[in-house]
Amino acid sequence: MGAGRFCFAMKVAFLFPALLLLGGCHALPRDPDGTSTQIMRSGILRVGLIDDPHPFDRGQTAALIARLAQETGAKPQTARGAAEPLLADLDAGRLDLVIGPFAADSPWKTMVALAPPLAASGTDDAPLQWQAAARNGENRWIMTVEQASRAIAPEGDAP
Amino acid sequence: MSDVGPPRELDAPMAKAVRLEYWNIFWTLTIILVMGLVLGQSETMKTAWVEDTLGLVPPIMFLIAARAERRGHPSRRYPFGFDRVNGLGFFVAAVALAAVGALLLYNAVTALIAAEHATVGSVRLLDRDIWLGWLMLAAQLYSLVPPLIIGRKELPLAEALNDKLLHTDALMNKANWLTGAAGLAGVAGLGLGWWWADSVAAAVISLDVLNDGIKALRSSTAELIDGAPRALSSTDLSEDAQAVCTRLMEAFPGATVRLRETGRLIRAEVHGARPPAQCRHPRHYWPGDKDRAWRLAQVSFIPPIEDQPPA
Repeated sequence: MGAGRFCFAMKVAFLFPALLLLGGCHALPRDPDGTSTQIMRSGILRVGLIDDPHPFDRGQTAALIARLAQETGAKPQTARGAAEPLLADLDAGRLDLVIGPFAADSPWKTMVALAPPLAASGTDDAPLQWQAAARNGENRWIMTVEQASRAIAPEGDAP
Repeated sequence: MSDVGPPRELDAPMAKAVRLEYWNIFWTLTIILVMGLVLGQSETMKTAWVEDTLGLVPPIMFLIAARAERRGHPSRRYPFGFDRVNGLGFFVAAVALAAVGALLLYNAVTALIAAEHATVGSVRLLDRDIWLGWLMLAAQLYSLVPPLIIGRKELPLAEALNDKLLHTDALMNKANWLTGAAGLAGVAGLGLGWWWADSVAAAVISLDVLNDGIKALRSSTAELIDGAPRALSSTDLSEDAQAVCTRLMEAFPGATVRLRETGRLIRAEVHGARPPAQCRHPRHYWPGDKDRAWRLAQVSFIPPIEDQPPA
């Protein structure tokens, strides 16, 4: 390897943290597609609720939406529907949040970011967990949703 | 002197290298553990973790080879002893290095093409929600230090022992800490909202790792198929070996001199010449620095064909 690239790597390794410290660490992480900023700017929180035939106490869902609305100062706007179209809208950035039941091995697990569970439903053979999903990579927004989910159903308490 | 086993003067640097490699394995295991705890969903982190794990291959191969070389005695099944275990280990380590480079490059390029936005969430730690990225940065920073120090300590030992396996391990350590640096930039860039940052950094580094791996692969293949001795850090012919070749050709004009390498040792065959009347130690033919004369372990003579009795 050339000395030039060595120098480059050294600079990358040591300048980056230095720049971050100068820039203010509390600002990290940011959203690549600006979801958090967009919610605050528009004043609207676009939520998708997945229809589920199984009876479930939606107290946690309502509490999560209320908490996020309060934190962002945005008004929630909810839409109901089947999982697939809602998650596709989330992935495309047309929704900010989707709440519904997910299986432990759901293929959506890697395609959207699932927050800690709010509640459980389903049968013993096929347990489902109610979780809020955010768009992949929107790390600031994901962190906000995760924090709110934990506050509503503290880990360990969650079924 | 027996022509099998490492020369006596290498005992001290060999013992030092063995000790260093045990430490290398220990520190690499701590890195694998620390990185494993904060992997999350990040592809960069997973790739770095795989690389750290593969980084165990060269030190383990070195320890196996060193043990075989020092303890193994020629037997009926292995009449030439175990000098060449080192060469085999060198080949295995070179494959690992090239594979790591190719793997890193593939991951980085596919992540870029798919425009993957890596999710790095938060964890609850000591009653606080902490962005996992901070823990990743800390783990990456930690993973920089041991390979940086060990790699630098390995280089002079690899030269003293003329050990290509140890040299490859030093390259692997360099690859590891460079990846750590790229990972730092990647995770930090991710935090700043640049989803492409880690893939780009990883791609640049992986090209370098792949290049080192292919070079090592070429040298090790040359050694295994009895190619002329190669230099320690490149695929060029070894200058020491070329000097031996010239010296032997001067001493036996008209003869064909063939050199090959068994691990760290050079073996010469002089074809079409009769051995000198006086018995000489192979080291007699070493032209350069006498401290390095141990490298020439054997000079054999194959008399001209007309001297041999008809079949």
